[in-house]
Amino acid sequence: MRAGPSQEDIRRHNLGALLRHVHLGGPISRAELTAKMGLNRSTIMALTSDLTAAGLVREELPRETGRAGRPSLVVRPESSRVYVFAFDVGPDRLAAARVGLGGAILDRRETARRRGPFDLDELAGTLAGFARQMRRKTRPDTVCVGAAAAVSGGVRKDDGVIMFGPNLGAESVPFGEELGRRLGLGLPVSVGNDANLAALAEHSRGVAVGVRDLIYLHGDVGIGGGIITGGHLLGGHDGYGGEVGHMVVNPGGQPCGCGSRGCLEAEVGERALLEAAGRVAARGDTRANALSHDGDGAGRQGRDAVRAVVDAADRGDIVAQEALKRVGGWLGLGVANLVNIFNPEMVIFGGMLREVYLGSAAQVRSRLATNAMGPQRERLRLRTSALADDATLVGAAELAFAHVLADPLEVLARVTG
Amino acid sequence: MTPLLEARGIDKSFGPVKVLHDVTFSAYAGEVTALVGDNGAGKSTLVKCIGGIHPIDNGELLFDGRPVQVNGPRDAGELGIEIVYQDLALCDNLDIVQNMFLGRERRRGVVLDEDTMEELAEQTLSSLSVRTVKSIRQLVSSLSGGQRQTVAIAKAVLWDSKVVILDEPTAALGVAQTAQVLELVRRLADNGLAVVLISHNMNDVFAVSDRIAALYLGRMAAQVKTADVTHAQVVELITSGRSGDLGLKNGAVA
Repeated sequence: MRAGPSQEDIRRHNLGALLRHVHLGGPISRAELTAKMGLNRSTIMALTSDLTAAGLVREELPRETGRAGRPSLVVRPESSRVYVFAFDVGPDRLAAARVGLGGAILDRRETARRRGPFDLDELAGTLAGFARQMRRKTRPDTVCVGAAAAVSGGVRKDDGVIMFGPNLGAESVPFGEELGRRLGLGLPVSVGNDANLAALAEHSRGVAVGVRDLIYLHGDVGIGGGIITGGHLLGGHDGYGGEVGHMVVNPGGQPCGCGSRGCLEAEVGERALLEAAGRVAARGDTRANALSHDGDGAGRQGRDAVRAVVDAADRGDIVAQEALKRVGGWLGLGVANLVNIFNPEMVIFGGMLREVYLGSAAQVRSRLATNAMGPQRERLRLRTSALADDATLVGAAELAFAHVLADPLEVLARVTG
Repeated sequence: MTPLLEARGIDKSFGPVKVLHDVTFSAYAGEVTALVGDNGAGKSTLVKCIGGIHPIDNGELLFDGRPVQVNGPRDAGELGIEIVYQDLALCDNLDIVQNMFLGRERRRGVVLDEDTMEELAEQTLSSLSVRTVKSIRQLVSSLSGGQRQTVAIAKAVLWDSKVVILDEPTAALGVAQTAQVLELVRRLADNGLAVVLISHNMNDVFAVSDRIAALYLGRMAAQVKTADVTHAQVVELITSGRSGDLGLKNGAVA
C-alpha cells in the first residue's frame, strides 16, 4: 500500500507554491497569500519565515494601504540577490541575461551570430564569457541558482542534446553539457526549444497570463511553435512536440530545410517572404544561391529584411504587398489547422511573425474564416507577443528557476553549501 | 450581451444633404469595433454625433442600455466617451503631463497639483505598458508620430473612460510605430474598454478588431463579427454596400 505524502512533502510543495506566487505575481501581502493559497495564517507565516531565512524573499511593511487596522506584511522576491543565467541561441543572435527571482532582467549581453555551421566551442565560449562578465559585476552576497538556454532546434527531453536544428546548422550537439562545463558554476544547464520556452514565458508573464489553452508561433528563419493545453506544455514522447513549422500546408510546395516540401516554415518563413518579394533570388537558382550564401547578408536577410518588406507594402509597393498576401494566406491556413485540432483560446504571433501577422492580418483571418470551424474560431483571440524579442530569454529564465520553485530550500542549500 | 454604446436609427442632414440614414451601430465592452467605409460614407459624422459635436436629427443613443442625451462634448465626456481625432489636438509647447490634463488640471488650493498629475499620468502610461516614452516631462514637440498617438490615447484613457473612439490612429505612421499603436488599441479593449477604430487599412482592421461595421453612402451596410468574414467580403461591403447575403438590399438594411 502506498502511503500519502509525508509532512515534509507537503511543506516542500507549499514552500514552492508560495515562492511561485511571489516570483510570478510580484510583491504580495501575507493576507492575500492566505486567500490565494487557501492555507491558514500561521502556515503562511511559517512558510514565509523559512523562505526569508533562506534569503529567497523578504518582508516589509506596505507603504500605505488606505485601510484601517494593522497592515499585513508584504512579501517580496529577493530579486537582486537570487538570480539565474538565461541564454538564447538563435540563427542570427546570441544573448545572455542575468535574471533575478521575480523575473527582472538585471543585466544582459547580446551579439549577432553569423549564419553557418554550429561551432560548439566558439558558441559556448561566447555565452560563458558573457556570463563571466555579468557575474564579475555582482555583489558578493548574490547567488546564482540555475542556468538554462533556449535554442532554435529540437531538444531531446532526457539529456538536453540538440538533436536537430537545421537553421542553426546543429545536429546531435551536447550543448547543455558543454555550456555547463564552461560556466564552471557547478550547475547543470537546462536546454529547451526556443518557441516552447517562449510559449511558457507568454503563459506565465506575457499576453497569455491566465490562458490555459494557447498556441505560440515563433518566426525566425524558420517557424517554431509551442502548444499549451490545459495549462501544460505539449512536449511529446521525446520532447520534440509542437514543431508546427513542419506541418505540411502546401503538398509539393517549396522545399524545406527538413527535407520535406511545402512545410509551413517553407511557405511562411523568412526565406519564403523575401523570395516572394524579390528580395532574394528563388531557390534552385544556383547563381542566386551563391549570392545569398556568401555571408554578407546584412539587410538582405534577418529581421530587418522582413521589416523592410512590411514597410514597403505599407508604402504601396505592389510586389511586397503580393508577397505578404501570399505568406499571410499560408499562415492563415496553418493557424486554421491548428485551431481545428487544438481549439486554443489564444494564438500568439512572436518573433518576426509579429510583423508578418500585422502586415497580413486580412489574409490570415480570411483564411481562418474559411478554413477553421465556426465554434472553434468563435472565441479565439489572435494576439502578438507581449514580451517581443525577450520572450525566448524570459522563457529560458523560467526554465532555470523551475527546480528552485520545485524545492526552494534544498536547491538553495546546495548552491550556497 | 448588451452593447455598452448603441446608436439606433440615427439620421443626420447638413442642410439639404442627408449624411446619415437610419444608422444603427453598437460597441461592446472588451471589444474593438472597426468602423469602415469609403471616403464620405459618414464615418466621421457618425462619430461626431456620438461625441456630441453634431446634434442628431432623429434616432437615439443608448449607453449601457439606458437612453441618454448627448448635447455636447462635455456630456459625452461625463458618460465616459472619449474621441481621439486624427490631428490628435496636442499642444507642441507643453509636456506630456500638461497635455494629458489640459483644461482639466488637478488643483491643490490655488496651485496646480503637479505631483498627483505626474503620478496619474505615469500610472496610466504604465497600465497601457507604454515603454517608448523616456520622460513624461518631455515636450510633445520632441515626440515621434507614434509616441504622440500613444500620448493622445493615454489622455483619452486617463479620464476613467469607458468608450474610446480612435480616428485613423495608424495613418502616417511607420511599420514599427503602427505595430505599437495597434497593440495599444488591442490592450485598451483587453483592459475592458469598448474601443471603436476607424481605419482604411484592412490589415489593421483584421489584426485587432472583434467586429466590423461597414458604412455605405450614409447607411450601415452590415455589422459583422470579424471571425466570420473574409477580406473580400468586407471590401465588397465598403464598395457596393452588399456582399452575398450580407449588406443592403435595394437600399434597405437586410
